[in-house]
Amino acid sequence: MLEVEGLTKYYPSGVIRKQYAKAVDGVSFKIGKGKTLGLVGESGCGKTTIGRLILRLIEPTAGKVLFDGIDLLALKRKELRAIRSRMQMIFQDPDSSLDPRMKIGTSIAEPLKLQGATPKDKIGQKILELVETVGLHPEHINRYPYQLSGGQNQRVVLARILAMNPDLIIADEPTSSLDVSVQAQILNLMMDLQSTFGHTYLFITHDLDVVRIMADHIAVMYLGRIVEIGKTHDIFNGAKHPYTHALLSAAMMEPAAGQRERVILKGETPGPTDIPAGCRFHTRCIRREEICMLKDPETVEVGDGHYVACHFV
Amino acid sequence: MNLLEIINLTTHFQTPDGIVQAVDKIDLSIREKETFGLIGETGCGKTVIGLTIMRLLPPTATVGGEILYNGKNLLEVSETGMRKIRGEEIAIILQNPTTSLNPVLKVGEQIAEAIRLHQGLNKHDAKKKAIEMLDSVRISSPSRRANEYPHKFSGGMKQRVMIAMGLACDPSFIIADEPTKGLDVTIKAQIVELMKEMTEHKAMLLITHDLGVAAEMCDRIALMYAGELVEYAPLDEIFEKPLHPYTIGFLNSLPKKGLVPIPGMSPSLINFPDGCRFHSRCDYATGECKQKHPDMVEMGNGHFVRCFHARS
Repeated sequence: MLEVEGLTKYYPSGVIRKQYAKAVDGVSFKIGKGKTLGLVGESGCGKTTIGRLILRLIEPTAGKVLFDGIDLLALKRKELRAIRSRMQMIFQDPDSSLDPRMKIGTSIAEPLKLQGATPKDKIGQKILELVETVGLHPEHINRYPYQLSGGQNQRVVLARILAMNPDLIIADEPTSSLDVSVQAQILNLMMDLQSTFGHTYLFITHDLDVVRIMADHIAVMYLGRIVEIGKTHDIFNGAKHPYTHALLSAAMMEPAAGQRERVILKGETPGPTDIPAGCRFHTRCIRREEICMLKDPETVEVGDGHYVACHFV
Repeated sequence: MNLLEIINLTTHFQTPDGIVQAVDKIDLSIREKETFGLIGETGCGKTVIGLTIMRLLPPTATVGGEILYNGKNLLEVSETGMRKIRGEEIAIILQNPTTSLNPVLKVGEQIAEAIRLHQGLNKHDAKKKAIEMLDSVRISSPSRRANEYPHKFSGGMKQRVMIAMGLACDPSFIIADEPTKGLDVTIKAQIVELMKEMTEHKAMLLITHDLGVAAEMCDRIALMYAGELVEYAPLDEIFEKPLHPYTIGFLNSLPKKGLVPIPGMSPSLINFPDGCRFHSRCDYATGECKQKHPDMVEMGNGHFVRCFHARS
């Protein structure tokens, strides 16, 4: 359904000495129809940029994005507009994704009118249908976003997305501003919708526990590059990259977990303007050797669809 | 020996919409050197408990009950007396280090300020002590960093500064309100390790919605729902034998535990439902739960729960 190849985005910075912030640096992955890819990484690793590049909300520096066999980067403005209704995005903060002066019903009607597939006299009925699909009540239609909770607003966002009847949904941290019990409600709803409508998800998050449940495949990003990608089961049971190990062991839970060995990374992620030479992770890596400082590791296949970029695999 | 004892504490706020009962008749005690976790979701009143103990509430708040610290009721201490206690005996590490640090003051000066006020050191010595504190929270090249402004620090480093500031005057009790909020997982792990190490011999009230962090740090845990405590017990008991339906629901809604949501929403703190505050979301609710408000009862092993059906 979606194929991304060598996707790159450099932002120029610096006036006298030209520098580039390498937000996304040669990223490739594929997502099958009706499947979910979880894109995991810490803040500033470029995961949100990837979502925006795919939708061409920002223009990539290089690379290829194939959506259902169509090269998105070759499309003209008008063609892109037409195809965008098949790709929708859901953002982190539902309260700022909705127009505060628009009633919920009006908000949901907007995409229906834009898309034009629903006859005018059927719009009211369609809104009711959508509102029920996402687990809201008919009385919510006449309310404003400020009268609803964060979880309810995220349901409204989902109803708007369903109105467009998309194939691909890019979800950028859709639950990270919600409480856990509400997060569970929204994630369950998203999984139900996927099994009903066959959506393909690109699920962007920093939360490994969440992708473990949501995703078929997981890609781990560090400083603009995918350092490991594979089936969810393989990532959780046979992670090969030291960064993936660190992420997995940093996710905490249960008292007993204190007994297992924990990898705590030293230092912080360098900025995208000064990406370390060699392997970009070497400044924080516990397995670092001389080669890591000199040579950028190639991505190698270590198992069925399991790829790792590290010298020691 | 209880270092802090909260008896029948109530904090209400006057608002145009009515009285918000953020903290409603809470009893809680914290022993010396213990880390006590207060867990709850947005708007349950957990942050207000911390602010009430520190007496940092706005004038719209009315407080009732007692907060005994070393036997002394903090609610009766004069404002001058309270100023001495804050920082020196009880310190608070607030959430959101970005907004808690003064953007126009150098980081070292902000830490030194507390030291000067409480320990009477002169400017030079206070600065030296501030640099030592930065070093102890593992900020590299602390003497250079002390002369920088907060915007040059990353989120994790700002949180380290907040910890350094909180511990600068060697308080015996620390309130930490969501100390890991908004941090990346690898940075969160660093901060949790640091806090565990720095507060080993101190009592702490850890306020958080993150059970993972609480599991790493706490000796006992309390669950708060709609302004009151619904269950508290030693750490292992909460995880292995949760008794209150809210605690069970909270645990089950975690991605690791199967992502089973609790239906419905938390009630507003202005109008509590009759009977048990959780009954409308509870699978076990009976007629009794709709009419009577359950009391906290002990189930053995220091495990307390507010539910009529906990025994069955």
